[in-house]
Amino acid sequence: MKNGGSGKWQAILLPLIVAAVLLLAWDAAVRVSKSDLFPRPVDVLKGIIELAQSGLLLKYISASLFRVSWGFGLAVLVGIPAGLALGWYPRAFQAFNPVIQVFRPISPIAWIPIAIVWFGVTDASPVFLIFLASVFPITVSAISAVQNMQPVYLRAAQNFGLSQSELFRLVIFRASLPQIITGIRIALGVAWLVVVAAEMIAVNSGLGYLIIDARNAGKRYDLVVAGMVMIGLIGLGLDLLVRQLENFDEVRWGYASKQ
Amino acid sequence: MSLRKTVVIFALVWLAGISFLHSSLNLGLFDKKERGDRVAYKLGFLPVTCHLTCPVTHFINKNMTGEGMFEPLRFSSWPELKEAFLAGQTSATFILAPMAIALREQGVPLKIVYLGHRDGTAVVVHKDSGIFSMPDLRGKRIAVPNRYSNQRLLFFRALKQAGMTIKDITLLEMPPPDMPAALYAKAVDAICSGEPFMGQAELDGYGRVLWQTKDVWPNFISCVLAVHEKMITEHPDAVQELVNGIAKSGKWLDQNMDHRMEAAEFVSRNYYNQNSRLLRFVLSKPPDRVKYTKLLPLKPDFEEIEALGKESGILQGTAHFEDYVEDRFAEKAAALHAYAWEAPKEK
Repeated sequence: MKNGGSGKWQAILLPLIVAAVLLLAWDAAVRVSKSDLFPRPVDVLKGIIELAQSGLLLKYISASLFRVSWGFGLAVLVGIPAGLALGWYPRAFQAFNPVIQVFRPISPIAWIPIAIVWFGVTDASPVFLIFLASVFPITVSAISAVQNMQPVYLRAAQNFGLSQSELFRLVIFRASLPQIITGIRIALGVAWLVVVAAEMIAVNSGLGYLIIDARNAGKRYDLVVAGMVMIGLIGLGLDLLVRQLENFDEVRWGYASKQ
Repeated sequence: MSLRKTVVIFALVWLAGISFLHSSLNLGLFDKKERGDRVAYKLGFLPVTCHLTCPVTHFINKNMTGEGMFEPLRFSSWPELKEAFLAGQTSATFILAPMAIALREQGVPLKIVYLGHRDGTAVVVHKDSGIFSMPDLRGKRIAVPNRYSNQRLLFFRALKQAGMTIKDITLLEMPPPDMPAALYAKAVDAICSGEPFMGQAELDGYGRVLWQTKDVWPNFISCVLAVHEKMITEHPDAVQELVNGIAKSGKWLDQNMDHRMEAAEFVSRNYYNQNSRLLRFVLSKPPDRVKYTKLLPLKPDFEEIEALGKESGILQGTAHFEDYVEDRFAEKAAALHAYAWEAPKEK
């Protein structure tokens, strides 16, 4: 930011103006088209308030966050070590990369039947689907982070005579961290994105379930859009949260400063 | 604090917190549970009137005995419902009759033990459309729930009666919950599925009933109650109890209009999560829109489904009535009377 004080205001004010314009355009579009199926923003707000008052909103948000947290958490635990190892050992990369590229483009929706057969109609199924969707972006970003690492770090490490495990912990992991964090941000977005698909399985809670359930419930498209709005807002919150990671010294060095 | 420490602490606190919230709010893990010594199993159903006896039986049992007999598991679409049954997650399920027969042909050890309902399907067109008879549907796009739905076979039969063939119309597969909106937007010319989705288009003022099933295929069946053979051999008593319960609640529903209105209220509120206006409408206008009695599986009915299924290319004709129906439970249940239960008056 060039001038701290007004810059801060701008960072809040500008997005709010864009949001207000979009809301007005949405409202006007519904009025002009005279659609009585598509809800107006005020209907959606009423829908959200109705959900909040009945306690369903908190229930559904915690259910979706639960599934995303576990699926995404497992993906981080598996994806980062796997990506670092594959990035470091060229033979392993040669062996596993085609398989990863085969699995990566398969939509979680295609996995639903398999998830039901393996995990039944419990929370494990959506967790599995979210894990699948988010593990690949993390792995791939970790692989390329290691592969693109500056050779000078390695040479320095060799001069200090680091052992293999020290090399991994102290050099490779730290050097890759900024790029891995970027992968994690993308993966968290994807994990949250697939929550609707993952909750198509017979779970009876969650924001994705809210959308599917509202379609079943007759003319409740206000609740459909309410679910979409909540997913969007929480996605924004999650992204802001992950971005906090970029403020740590261990990561910040990796980003070009615009100050 | 270092990055690692912050992330680890935050992740642990977050996971613990969200897991606690989810398990207390949604899973009821901390609720006190009463467990009887009965067989615990899940029964799959969709929020359609074809499966109405599932929630009704569960609700009446819970109110009479404090237990629900089975755990009703509500799905949102046919494929997931079918997959959960194939995977053994549900021991019993309400399912489309032709789909059950097709699964049997493919070697799935299931038996149809009872019917879900009779009638309960309508063909609805847009009120502004010029469609008033079957010939008017020539060249039009019609939505049906599934390739294996009896609604699709219904069209084969209706076309034949009108001297037309399948080439005269275009059938599209569409999940029933999306049908009213598709008709409203005129994305399709006619929609056909189980209730309450047809009633919804009518109730909201843009749909007009072209015909009800009773006009084209009297005593139409779309859904049946199927159970795994394993459950029949291992727990025949539980199957009998289930069929008895479904039979008794069907008779209870058809006993009088008060019962239907009570069911519309408690099912909408506790199982379907929708406005009861819709169920009240489809269960009463007209009263024979959907029926829950005479639900013994009969051979001629299924032979007709088999024949139409073969004609429409979804069945091979390798499974027959004796292979996929086990009617001894239904026969025993036939003599039973309706549940002697009245819903407690509100407040």
